[in-house]
Parts: sequence; C-alpha cells; structure tokens
Amino acid sequence: MDDLKAGGVGQHPVKDGPVADLIRQQLSEEEWKVLASEVSQIAANPVPGRLARVFTTLPRKIQYADRLVSAGVMHGVGPNGMPLVVKDWSLARLARVWVLMHIPALEEASYQKLIEQLFIYGEMEELVALYAALPVYHYPHAWTQRCAEGVRSNMGFVRQAVLLDNHYPARYLDEGLWNQLVLKAFFTEEYIPQIIGLRDRNNEALARTLVDYAYERAAAGREINPILWILVSPFIEGRAFELMSKRIESSESLLERQAIAFAFSQSNFGEAKQYVATETATKELLKVDIASTPWADWGVASAQ
Amino acid sequence: MGQRVELDLDAVKGFRFFDPHIHMVSRTTDDYQAMADAGIVGIIEPAFWVGQPRTGIDTFRDYYSSLIGWERFRSSQFGIKHYCTIGLNSREANNEALAEQVMELLPFFVYKEGVVGVGEIGFDDQTPAEDKYYRAQLELAKEAGLPVQVHTPHRDKTKGTSRSMDIALEHGLDPGMVIIDHNNEETVKEVLDKGFWAAFTIYPFTKMGNERMVEIVKQYGPERIMVNSAADWGISDPLAVPKTAALMVKMGVPKEHIERVCYKNAITAFAQSGQLDERAMLEKTDIDQAQKYEGNTVLRGGQQPRRDAGSIIIS
Repeated sequence: MDDLKAGGVGQHPVKDGPVADLIRQQLSEEEWKVLASEVSQIAANPVPGRLARVFTTLPRKIQYADRLVSAGVMHGVGPNGMPLVVKDWSLARLARVWVLMHIPALEEASYQKLIEQLFIYGEMEELVALYAALPVYHYPHAWTQRCAEGVRSNMGFVRQAVLLDNHYPARYLDEGLWNQLVLKAFFTEEYIPQIIGLRDRNNEALARTLVDYAYERAAAGREINPILWILVSPFIEGRAFELMSKRIESSESLLERQAIAFAFSQSNFGEAKQYVATETATKELLKVDIASTPWADWGVASAQ
Repeated sequence: MGQRVELDLDAVKGFRFFDPHIHMVSRTTDDYQAMADAGIVGIIEPAFWVGQPRTGIDTFRDYYSSLIGWERFRSSQFGIKHYCTIGLNSREANNEALAEQVMELLPFFVYKEGVVGVGEIGFDDQTPAEDKYYRAQLELAKEAGLPVQVHTPHRDKTKGTSRSMDIALEHGLDPGMVIIDHNNEETVKEVLDKGFWAAFTIYPFTKMGNERMVEIVKQYGPERIMVNSAADWGISDPLAVPKTAALMVKMGVPKEHIERVCYKNAITAFAQSGQLDERAMLEKTDIDQAQKYEGNTVLRGGQQPRRDAGSIIIS
C-alpha cells in the first residue's frame, strides 16, 4: 500500500478510506508519514505503552490539532456498519478516533482492557475522542456500560460526545439505559434532535417519565422543551393530556404550543383527536412548516 | 502597612491576569465567577496535599484524573483556561510505600495535554524520603522536558529553598525551567541570582501580604518574578493576583511591570512545556448567558448561567 510505503513500515497497512483521506488533507506530508507509521505499528502490535503514547501525545505531533473538521455522516468506517458523524471535530479528535480504529480485534477481554485503560487515564479531550469512537470499536456489545458511564459524565463536552450525533447508543443500549440517556439530554439542555435514533427508540416508559418531568418543570415555572411533547405524542393518555391541554393554551412559547398541536394531531387518544377537531386555534398552530421545527424528522413519518 | 483599603478593582479593569498556582478543587463556582469577572483568563492548578493524607493509590489516580478532566471542564464553563502540574507533594512523599506506587503512576499523567509541569514538589519537613522523591521527580521532569514547580517549606524556609535549588542544579536542570514558589524577602535575591524563576504567594496570615509584594517588585523589578494566590481549602484569596495588581497601580508600579508579574512571566515560564499557548487565552469567549434557541441552551459545553448573588430570590 502506498500509504504504508510512505510511512516506511512493515506489513500492517493503515486503513485508507474517508477518515484517512480527511486527516491526510489536513496534515503536512511529514506529519502524515509519522502518524501513519505510528498507526501501522499499533495495527501490527498494540502494546499498551505505545498505544497510550501515540494516543496521548497526538496533538503535539500535528500543527493544527485544534482545527475544526466537518464531513457529515461517514459510512463504511468501522467493523459494525455504524457511521461516524463528524461535525466540528477537532483534528486531534478525528485523528485519535482513527488511531483507535487500528487496534486489531484481539481476544475480546484483552481488546476491551486495552481501551478501558485509555478511558481510565483519559483527560477531557481524550475522553471526547474515546466516546466518539464507540461506533467503531470491535465487540460492540461489550461497550454498553462504558457508554452509560459517558452519559453520566459531568463534563459537558464528554457527555455530548455520547449523546449527540453518535450512532452507538441507539443501536446497543437497552431500553432502560436508552431512556436514561434521553432524560439526561433533556436535563442538560442538549439540542434533542441531535440524538440519533430518537424516533426509532421512542417508547412508552420513556414517554411516562417525560410526562412526570414535564409536570415538575411546570410546577417549578420553568420552560418545557417543545420536543418533549413530540416524544410523548404516540403515548398520550389522560395524565399527559391534562397538562398538554393546559399548556397549549397558556404556554408563553409559541413553539411549545405548536408542538402540542402537532402531538395531538398525530395521536390516537380520543380526547386529543377531539381537541384538534373542535378547537379552531389548533388549526392555526398546525399551519407551521414542519421542516422549520426541531421535529422536522417526525413530519415524514406521519405520512407512513 | 496593614491599613484597610476598600476593594476596588476598577484600577485594573481591562487587565488580563494569570494565576499560576491555585487549587480550584477546593473552591466554589462563586470563586470562578469572581475570578473571571476580575480578569483572570488562565490558571495553573498544581497537584498538592488535599488537607489530609491519602491512604491508597486509587485516590491519587482519581485526583490527578480530576485535574485533567472535571476541574478543567468546570473552569472552562467560566471562560478560564485551566492547566495543571502533576507531582507527588512533599508531605505525602513521607509515606514511602505509597510514594513508590505514585511514582509509577506519574508517567501516565505528565504527558497529557495541558500538563505544564511537574509540581508542586520539594520539601516540607526536609526528611530523607522527601529528598529521595524530589530528586526522582526532577529526573522525571527532565525526561519529559517539563518545567518544575517547587514548593518551598514553611519551616526552615531559607535553608530549604537553597537546598531545593542546589539539588535541581546537581541533577542538571536548567534554572530557567524551575519555578521556585512561596518566596519572601529572605529568599528572593538568591533565587534570582541563581537564574531561577521566583514565584510569590499572596496568602493571608501565613505567607506574603501584597504590600510586601509591591515593595519587592519595586526593589527587584519584574524580571523572572510572578505572583500567585495558592488559594486552597484554607483561608485564602482567589483574587490575590488582581488585588495585588490593583495595589501596584495605586502604589505607582508601571503597568508594564504589573503585566509581567501578574500575567506574562508565568505564561513564559510554563509555556516551555509546549502545553500552554497564550493565544488560547486571548480567544474571546463570547457568552450570552441568557440566550436560548428553540428552548435549548446555546451555551454549548455548558457555559454556566449567572447566579444573582445580590438577590434573596433563588430561582
């Protein structure tokens, strides 16, 4: 392989493909050679000391480590068919994920231990890269507890690397952990539509919890994120309807009123259907162009 | 000396400050807010003694980990760049069994991003064990190419300070890579004469007062001198650097000298690690605390909303 020859290293090639191309575009020829050489050594023999050194010192080896890189959804990058979503990643983060992609699929326990060591000693930016790489690790079922730990992180940047634009959680977390993730995202005021799989993984237990949360917010006189009502929509029952029918009239947020109207219009709950049919104000609220709302993705679905 | 001067930081409005020694794990968010408001844009948190001895290696690891993780993040929420130095402090060097384990742990942390030195290390009681681990960590710093932040003892300070410098020289360290901390009128001359950096801790009752600090800068000038707060879990002052700068303005110290000792010198000294870039502190962090977008905060990464400390209403 050309890359390999450029790196001057033996028979373990670095992975080419979109991630490698993206990194290479940002590096000088010399920086690329050094990185490719290190990475191919890790692929050949992932001794913990070498991996830790390369992973940790990576930003010192490249001039524009802080430069932000975006490439959108990158398919075909890992062993499990999950894409990476690269949006405003630092070059260091991207390159670190690429380094992690080169750890060969050792026996499961050894593989997991090797990467867990990086988590345990990780500083903030390293943790961001380690969690962002969840979709590209081998043995995907082995990482659910680690993923849940990331959801619990108190470091915003770290937590966001798990919650947002990451394909791993929706694919591998069980319902309990998934619901914790969504609830945590509401609590920490993340931009909810950036959670991948939100719609596919929506469920009744989550909706119930979100309704309880909405009641607490209402009691505290705090805003309620409109998209909460979109998640509740398929599971509206008496208790949810009671609060929603109040807030569709009293909420100061137009977007929340629109969200509730939309939720009612999608619901099979009798009172909700009746509300839409009889309250003329609802029609006005439903005139909003769904594509311009945070629940744009739900618009198409309703037609199905 | 000792006359009360009303707190007024208007004299240093627009100044930028860097506190190269402060233990934020012991401080509150109110402190962070006040520091940011007073113009502090960057800090260094040396690894130190947490007020009582640790009894196991895992608590050391978690402590170091918090310096490069949670505390770094907490600081970023207030727009303050957080760096740290990593080391085994002198008091805990006296638990030799544990100290051995800590020495094995240090290489996992000293190469991390934002670790700008080995510190704070040095002498407390000046025991043989302290001597041993001070030397071992000087070697580590040399190998890692990092500056050293040296804690000088409270008791028998003058001798302890000389000894710390002699040992550093004996191990072949460049004095320009060593910051001797907690100086006073008795130690400063020798430290500067030998080519080391001289740091001064403005800490009520037990270390330097800032009126004395003003006199030192007047006498010695700004070369290789830096001011810090070493604020921690004791009665201390996280605004010691800006307050000292304000006093210097009042006492007629030239602005350029104030900037050197309260900002620039520390950055120059610790930037030798390759892990600290002044440009990171010049980036304007534009934080509109109230701005929301579609019900979601736009304060990405968790910039913290401002608490109104002047109101009895808590919402």
